[in-house]
Formats: sequence, C-alpha cells, structure tokens
Amino acid sequence: MSHVAPAPPAGVRDGRDPSDAAIDVVDLVKQFGHNRALDGVTFQVPRGTVFGVIGPNGAGKTTIMRALLDIIRPTAGQATVLGTPSRNAGPELRRRIGYLPGELILEGRTSGRRLLQHYADISGPVAAGHVQELAERLTLDLDRPVRKLSKGNKQKLGIVQAFMHQPELLVLDEPTSGLDPLMQQEFLRMVREARDRGQTVFLSSHVISEIQQAADEVAILRDGRIVTINSVEELRASAIRHLRLVASGIRPADLAAALSGLDGVTTLNCTATLTGDAEAVATLSGEIAPFVQAISTLQLRDLVLEEPDLEESVLKLYSAPNSHSAVTK
Amino acid sequence: MTALRPLNVRRAPLPLFGKVFTDSWRGLLGWGLGLTAAAFLYLPLYPSISGGSGMQEVINSMPPEMIKTLNYGDIGTGAGYVQATLFGLIGFLLLTIAATSWGAGALGGDEEAGRLELTLAHGVTRVQVAAARFCAIAVKILALSALLFVVVLALNDSAQLELEIGNLLGTSLLFYGVSLLTASVALLGGALSGRRIGGIAAGAGVAVVGYVFNALGNQSASLEWLHSLSPYYWAFGNNPLSSGANVTTIVIFLGLSLLLAAAAAFALRQRDIGV
Repeated sequence: MSHVAPAPPAGVRDGRDPSDAAIDVVDLVKQFGHNRALDGVTFQVPRGTVFGVIGPNGAGKTTIMRALLDIIRPTAGQATVLGTPSRNAGPELRRRIGYLPGELILEGRTSGRRLLQHYADISGPVAAGHVQELAERLTLDLDRPVRKLSKGNKQKLGIVQAFMHQPELLVLDEPTSGLDPLMQQEFLRMVREARDRGQTVFLSSHVISEIQQAADEVAILRDGRIVTINSVEELRASAIRHLRLVASGIRPADLAAALSGLDGVTTLNCTATLTGDAEAVATLSGEIAPFVQAISTLQLRDLVLEEPDLEESVLKLYSAPNSHSAVTK
Repeated sequence: MTALRPLNVRRAPLPLFGKVFTDSWRGLLGWGLGLTAAAFLYLPLYPSISGGSGMQEVINSMPPEMIKTLNYGDIGTGAGYVQATLFGLIGFLLLTIAATSWGAGALGGDEEAGRLELTLAHGVTRVQVAAARFCAIAVKILALSALLFVVVLALNDSAQLELEIGNLLGTSLLFYGVSLLTASVALLGGALSGRRIGGIAAGAGVAVVGYVFNALGNQSASLEWLHSLSPYYWAFGNNPLSSGANVTTIVIFLGLSLLLAAAAAFALRQRDIGV
C-alpha cells in the first residue's frame, strides 16, 4: 500500500476506469423471501475517497456491506471489491478489508486485547503497537473483559478491530453508533487520516451530520434503491436553509406577498413584532443569490440565514415517493 | 500516524482451532469432572452388587422388557455393569449433552449470536472455520473419552471389574465414535439452520432415536431391524467390553463424522450468514 492517491475532486467520477475503483457495484439485487432488500443498486467508490451511504433503517445499507464481504450472496448483479469479485472471494481479499458490522456482537469472556489478537491472528498482520495506539486515541481499556464494556466501548473495540491491520478498504456500518460526541469527532479524524494515507472508506449512517463531515460523496438509499449520489457540496447546495428576517416600514401581509413569490421559499410565516416591524420565518432551498437580491430593497433590521440542514433535505428525499429519479447529478 | 509502519507478523498457529480451547477449557474441565465423578460414584459399588445375590434377585424380579431396555441383562459381570451404568447410560448421557451442545454452538449458535459474521469477514474461509471447529470438538470429545478410559482403568482392580484393557480401549473408542457422530450431526444441523436449536434438535434427536431404537430392537425379533438404524447399537450392541470392539465400526463412526462435518462446511459455504 505504498500508493497514496490524493482525494479526487468531488463529483469527478464519470469517465474513471471502474476497475480502478475500490468498490464497483453493478445492479445489485438481493431478495430475502418476498422482501427485496436491494433493488438494482449501482455505484462506484474511487480509491482513496470516503464514500458515505445514508438511509433509514431497512433501506439496505447493511445488506450492501454484507454482500461486499461475501457474508451474503446477491440474488443478481455483482460487486467488485479492490478488483476482485466479492462472491466466493478468498481470504486474501478480506485481509485487505476492515469491517465493522452494524450489529456488533463480540465474544464476551475474553479481554479486548486478546480478542483483537485473535482477529490479528486470522487476518493480520498488525503493526507492533498499533492496537495500543488506536486504543489510546479512543480511550479504550483493552484489559477489561469484553462483556463488561459499555456499548460505546464495545463499538470502539470494533473500530480498532477494523482499523488495526491498516486495510486498503474500510467498510464501516454505522461506525459512530454508541460513541459520545467527542469520540465521534476522534473517529472522523481517523477516517480522514485513513483517506489521506490512501485508504478507501465506505461507511453508512442514518445521521447525515457525521457523513457530511467525513465523506467526499454521499449515496442516499431508500427501499433498496439509490435515490441519489452527490458530493457533499452538491448536497449542501440543494439543502434547505432556515431563515428569519425582520424588516421595518412594511406590514406583515406586504412582506408575505413580497417573499412568497420567490423561488425556493416555503413554509413562510409573517407576523408583526412587538416593535411594529414585520418578521418573516421561512425555509429556503436552492441558490441564495436571487433571494438576497430580492430582499435588498427591504429595510432589514435582522437577517438570519442558517447553515444548510442536510438532515432535513435528506429526510425530504426519504419521504418523497418515486424520487429516485427526481434528483440527478 | 501518517505512514504505514512495518508489520508484526508474529501470529498464533491455528488460531481458529486454538480459540475454541481458550474459550471453552473451563467447560471441558467441568465435563471431565462430571464424568470422573460419575465413574467414582458407580464403579466402586460393583463388588457389593455382584457379591451378594440381592442385586441379581432385584434384576430377576424386573420385567424382562425393562431389563432389555436398560441393558441390565449382564449386570452381574464387571463388563456388563460398566457398560450398563457408565458407557451405556450416564457417560453416554453426559457425552451426548456435551457433544450436542458443542456441535450446535460451533456454527449455528455462533451465527445466531451474531459473532460468526465478524469472524467470516476476516481472512478465513467458511470451510476453514467449519473444519477448525469440528477438529476442536473432535479433540475435546477425544479428551473426555480418554479420561473415561483412564478413570475406569484406574478403578478396574479396586472395583473388581476384571475388564480386559484391550476391550476397555476399544469400548472407549466406540464411545468416542458415537459421541463424535452426535456432535457432527449437531454441527450440520446448526450449519444448515443458522440456529443453535437446529443443531440441538439434530444432535439430540439422533442420540435419543438411536437409544430408543436400540431398546426397541432388544424387545423382540420382529423389531430387531431397528438395530441397524441405531448408532447406539452399532457402538454397544455387541458388548464390546466383554467380547471386544470391532475396528470397522470405529472406522465407520469416524468416517461418518467426517462426512457430516464436510456436509456442514459445504452447507455453511452456500448460505447467507446471519439473516
């Protein structure tokens, strides 16, 4: 793993050679009885990037990851991981992958250190001292019996287990689940460092905020289909912002009339303030320039335009029916 | 932490195999103590039973069907007594429970608990995992069978059992074979179902049916054909403690067990894990 690929600019995927991708998934279908867990999922993860997949529980995130590790076999389609088809792939491929399952169940009677040693024995090799270093970063006590660890500490053990052999590809299913906010930040730093070393990270979450901080690209998955694949920047541009403005010399009804016609302004609510000004609260999606231009004629006393809330815009994608074709790159 | 560092390649040999023992040596010790205790409880009683005529009278007063079911027909001899009480009853019961529980837990139980997924995500094949765990069970059952052999041998003189060492060794190997067969069936049941209960049902089912078929086959000539379906009868039907063990039978037990373990590995290879 001497090659250190710089992270490509977000969105520059098309035209890349798919065989060069760390993960190349084509039309993946997985049927469990009558339930179609994956319904034709296609995406690529370029080497040296962080790729996030978000979606509600049951969307198929875990199923994709399990198929990549050959824990389950797809009904149709194929997944190529680090240039090798994942189906019936040998142990050599999985040694190059670090995997953190979404439902992490660890052997309880042994200590964290011994458990990690076991996984190093079957997957390794692990650099001397690296486990200790990771454990210290995550403030994890390796000598306690695993069964006595809290959920968060078990999760840390799972993270160390995935990172310790410095695999080319990390497949992390809901990695920050159970971690407190400080540890979540430390984990995200580890993800960025891994990418900077040329490792590829494929992670899932149902919380956008962590993916937003770490990922170059984000796929949104719903009901076994990819709704959209965007760079975080693109997602941000299409995201919803909450706005609040106070203008003087205008009646609430007139303010409402002036704003309601603007593109992207929704859930508008105009009221009179105690000081006799008019206050408008609304959400804004899309470009902000036209909006700023439109309000420049107002006598503004206050204007608050919040950071885009990706969570909310993503939730909108979840809930919109048939939206898997609505958003394109 | 910016560059990848040289790797430490020191690794445990046979990690999957060894892990079974680091996880379960306490259990193995417990089964060993139980088996030893059973032997020390039953065998020293033999002189008092064979010496007086009291016990034989009790046996003679029992309905013949019951005597046949419990294999008490030869209880007046040392070999018959050890067979009826230890190899054919309490020892058989203990080893059946241990073998079923180990076999069912090795793949089905591990998968059901959710741990197998992470093991299989590492640098191993499913066949390796199945093979290593089968081998570990085979070694554990061998250890218990060897222990029973040693304990019975140690009590042979003091309990006046008058067992021939060769016959005892052969019987211990048959005991090993029938227990390993139970474990392999449980392993396969667990591998097919992905559940512990699947393995327990299969392993305990084969052991119980084997015992019942043996007992029924003992009752009348018209039911004797059931003996051919009973692993219990294959092992103990010809009184190996008194008349010697059949080597072919031992080999058949080992061969069948290997076949079932291979089937378990194949079943595991084909399946989606943890769904």
